[in-house]
Amino acid sequence: MKGNIAIRADGLSKRYRLGTSQHRHDSFRDLLADVVDSLFHRRPTEAPARESFWALKDATFEISRGENVGIIGLNGAGKSTLLKILSRITEPTAGSARIDGRVGALLEVGTGFHPELTGRENVLLYGAILGMRQQEIAGKFDAIVDFAELREFIDTPVKRYSSGMYVRLAFAVAAHLEPEILLLDEVLAVGDIIFQRKCMEFAKRLQQRNATILFVSHNMFSIKTMCRRVIYLKKGVVQFDGPTDKGIELYEKECRLSAVPWAKDNPDDWPIVVTDVALFDDAGVAKTVFDHGERVNVRLCYEAKQPVSTPNFIVAFMRSDGVACCNFSSEVDGVIKDRISGKGVIEFQTPPLKLVSEHYTLHIMVREKGFQRLLCAQVGTSFHVRHQLFDTHFGVYHEPAQWRWESGQALDPHAAASVSMMPEGRITPRGSAEPPASRIVQSGEK
Amino acid sequence: MHVSEVSEPEKLSRGVVEIRPGRGLLDLDLGGVWRYRELLHILVVRDLKVLYRQAALGAAWAIIQPVFAVAIFTVVFGHFAKIPSDGLPYPVFAFAALLPWTYFAEAVRRSGTGLVNESDLIRKIYFPRLIIPLAAVIAPLVDFLITFLVLLVLLAWYGIVPGWQMLFVPPLLLVATLLALAMGLWLGPINVRFRDIKHTLPFLLQIWMFASPIVYPLSMIPERWKWLYSLNPMVGVIEGFRWAVLGTGSPDLMALSLSASLIVLLLVGGLVFFKRMERSFADLI
Repeated sequence: MKGNIAIRADGLSKRYRLGTSQHRHDSFRDLLADVVDSLFHRRPTEAPARESFWALKDATFEISRGENVGIIGLNGAGKSTLLKILSRITEPTAGSARIDGRVGALLEVGTGFHPELTGRENVLLYGAILGMRQQEIAGKFDAIVDFAELREFIDTPVKRYSSGMYVRLAFAVAAHLEPEILLLDEVLAVGDIIFQRKCMEFAKRLQQRNATILFVSHNMFSIKTMCRRVIYLKKGVVQFDGPTDKGIELYEKECRLSAVPWAKDNPDDWPIVVTDVALFDDAGVAKTVFDHGERVNVRLCYEAKQPVSTPNFIVAFMRSDGVACCNFSSEVDGVIKDRISGKGVIEFQTPPLKLVSEHYTLHIMVREKGFQRLLCAQVGTSFHVRHQLFDTHFGVYHEPAQWRWESGQALDPHAAASVSMMPEGRITPRGSAEPPASRIVQSGEK
Repeated sequence: MHVSEVSEPEKLSRGVVEIRPGRGLLDLDLGGVWRYRELLHILVVRDLKVLYRQAALGAAWAIIQPVFAVAIFTVVFGHFAKIPSDGLPYPVFAFAALLPWTYFAEAVRRSGTGLVNESDLIRKIYFPRLIIPLAAVIAPLVDFLITFLVLLVLLAWYGIVPGWQMLFVPPLLLVATLLALAMGLWLGPINVRFRDIKHTLPFLLQIWMFASPIVYPLSMIPERWKWLYSLNPMVGVIEGFRWAVLGTGSPDLMALSLSASLIVLLLVGGLVFFKRMERSFADLI
């Protein structure tokens, strides 16, 4: 292909049939009939509309060499389907694509690792699975092991590895893949934030080598850092293709008050929904950027479609990498009503927020008293915390400590502290925020 | 094959890929398999390594299993049932047939279930899917080689000296490999949709084994039913194998040519079927 186009998609569409495979063919005979049919008719037979849906519909775009494009959209918008088609894992139902260059696809880190094999053997295996030549892997072997920091364990079967070690080794191999076109699906979202930073560095290195990157993520923060262009998908259709800021704005508008990704039941069945959410500073001005140490005022408008007894309103501040940094609960703070119905407004003011500079999204949940039944779970709005110094290198939050410093004398390490601690100084790390956070968010995600 | 095309490494890294639905009926993309031959090699090595790892007796199992089977056959069929063995010691008679059969059964079992066992790979990574049944029929060849050595020991024990017919062992083995591959190409994709195959395979293989001249000689089959019996492509292979290592009788040319044509049919049909079904593996598995 001439020119500078790395990927050209032309009307790419993918239709899935609903239901399990058992429902698709009532018997072997149906299957055989279908097979015979598909052998002689090259076009896919039209399935009745009620049984199928388009996971991707008419996606048309061009991506130039060296361009980094983010793919965003809610769950089920077709992001992963698009990557699966481009990486040739599945075939499109209609449309076509042309890809010019060596493709590396990381839809999951560590697929193909075999638990019985040692780290060394798995490096060779996984490298081959990702399409690297044995010579190439052998040449990079030492670099891979160093990157993973697993030299002493390299001859241990990976089933004895911790999950962290496992991911590190897998990623180390993947990071030494040198594709011209890289398809990344959320893989950067696994692991802790330090690991994620390593992943971002890897992506940056590829950028510098002028690799073309197609990057699926729910993490708007990394999309913003990596891509100047986004493709925003909604229900399988390309809704927007253009500058990142504009695309994210549209996406966040759609996300606003949508069900959280882990919600299992149909939002239409929720007895109560949050109909609006807004953030203000102390002066009552609506804002989306707050300074470190500023209080945030959260106002929720709700509508109880059925009478709800003893609702507990919970708001979690989720960092852009999905960590629940703090939780506020009306019940924990002693605010509870016996019974509500119809519309209402509930407001709270946070203590001065000591979260580090990052992007946070509100998750709003209503549960029955005692953190029982989930009544609704929605993604609220999002905001930034701004501070020149304190970013995630400093952890989740930052509080000043009380210091004492003497020099020149031998000190008794057991002597009583002579600095009187101020009340704020006694807040234990994660103290007030953590217990409800882990209780609510993690149990819900399972 | 397309050696000139693949010998330049640039072909793997460079080049335009066209993605579109429903390629042609005979577009089997065998060149793609060749380009991924390193992965094939690695998967075979992996299967071999994993098979006996953390088993105290390790690869000795490759010997123990058929030896025990022959011991049981000798006692049950040779001594109690007094099944004739073409004038040979029964253990040698049975072992010579069990050897290709054990390989074949293992290769069919693995290639029939391989796709489903590798579902993680299929869902997340692209590579020519034909690699999986190919690796599945190649890996058990190593077990075959080990047991073949045991057969040689057994022959020496009974003072049987194999003749020039031994040269036919590799081609007969190749026939068994191709037949196993053909079975895998049919059963594997069906297993993706209907996991019933996994449960059916042991029965199928057991019936197939007793429908093959393993514990009894081909001469026990009445002449007028022989044509029907020879429709089983393994008959030609097994009888041929006995002839090659023991020198009994002569290979049944009619049975062998029938086997060969059946295998070619099954294999070509299997390839087309596999490539047809391949597209939906990632969606169905």
